[in-house]
Amino acid sequence: MTGGGLNALLEGCTQCGLCREVCIVERLGAHSITSFLCGEEDYSSWLCSSCWRCQEACPQGVDIHAIMMEMRRDEEAPAGHEANLVSVLRSGYALAMSEEINETRRIHGLEPVELVPAEWVHALLRG
Amino acid sequence: MAFFPGCLVLQRMPQYEKAARRVLKELGIVLESIPRAACCGAPLESFTDEWLYLAAYNLALAEGMELDVLTLCGNCTNTLLRAKAALTDPSLCLAVNERLHEIDLHFDGATTVRHLIHVLSERLEVLREKVGAELSLKVALTHPCQAFRPHEILGFDDPLQPQVMRRIVELTGAEVIAYEAEYDCCGSTLYLADEELGLEAGERKLESAAEADVLVDACGNCQLLLERFQGLMKGRAPEERLPVLTLPQLLGLAMGMAPAELGIGSMMASKLQGSLA
Repeated sequence: MTGGGLNALLEGCTQCGLCREVCIVERLGAHSITSFLCGEEDYSSWLCSSCWRCQEACPQGVDIHAIMMEMRRDEEAPAGHEANLVSVLRSGYALAMSEEINETRRIHGLEPVELVPAEWVHALLRG
Repeated sequence: MAFFPGCLVLQRMPQYEKAARRVLKELGIVLESIPRAACCGAPLESFTDEWLYLAAYNLALAEGMELDVLTLCGNCTNTLLRAKAALTDPSLCLAVNERLHEIDLHFDGATTVRHLIHVLSERLEVLREKVGAELSLKVALTHPCQAFRPHEILGFDDPLQPQVMRRIVELTGAEVIAYEAEYDCCGSTLYLADEELGLEAGERKLESAAEADVLVDACGNCQLLLERFQGLMKGRAPEERLPVLTLPQLLGLAMGMAPAELGIGSMMASKLQGSLA
């Protein structure tokens, strides 16, 4: 997706540290992709709240999100992310969804919804 | 508009959908469900480029309805719009359509996606006319990060310190308080990677907003962490719980709608009772 890979994506980064300054994970004392960008070795590309503040703050316009996505594919995923992946591949939804959803909707006065057929999900996401 | 609830709202927050439908109807916008809509594709992106197939699938369904899409969640908004931007690449678009054609769908990029806040921000005048009650509440806002960033894709409001939600809520007469963590992320996606850290992010936000009578959000992820998971936060005793409402629930109250019409339970309603004029 990203063409030239990680090195090309990192080209503009001057390690100024602005991304790390605005990162919520860093403020909580943990280390995110922004620590990696600052040359540190203690970080996880999965420790992120997807707030996009680092990328918005970057004066060089570095695509930090794309860097993170590249790196995640080489690092073991946390169980929460893995569970969502498995659920989407199986059913088309991140949370297990069944026709019972329409009973809940009826109680709340909402019209029933039609869920995605599982065979369509498998056709779309077959690898 | 075509309504895209996203997994969280569809599965766990019918109250948010109910309030959004009710309030938008009052503003002359009817939400049509998208039959067979699936997850936006966000949970796949960290693992595979096939997230684009799922995002394009949803957009293609809305295209078939010839309607623009309204979302209630920052994450879905961001994912669908980034997919649309990525698919301006002709070779990617071709690859996506090869799959979509197998199920008789086609992606053209004809439809756009707007978060609820964006849609409301374009209707401030009619909103002003519809708001009858003056809410004597102190409100703290939490702005859905991904409905505003990246700005080059989302394209409205100040991306680091969004202001439109404040303008919308001020129409209700409520006092919107400034607080230190206002523009910080709730921590909901972080929770997926590290539960303790995610809850800590949420707790910091809630503590910072403690002066408010109610915290108002506009995203399934924020609502999940700040409202549903508030009880899991170590430092928060039950009596300290900060009431959390979604934006359309607050607007509906200001329009004079009954709490039950907006999916606001009786306990929450009685907590707010003293503050509602």
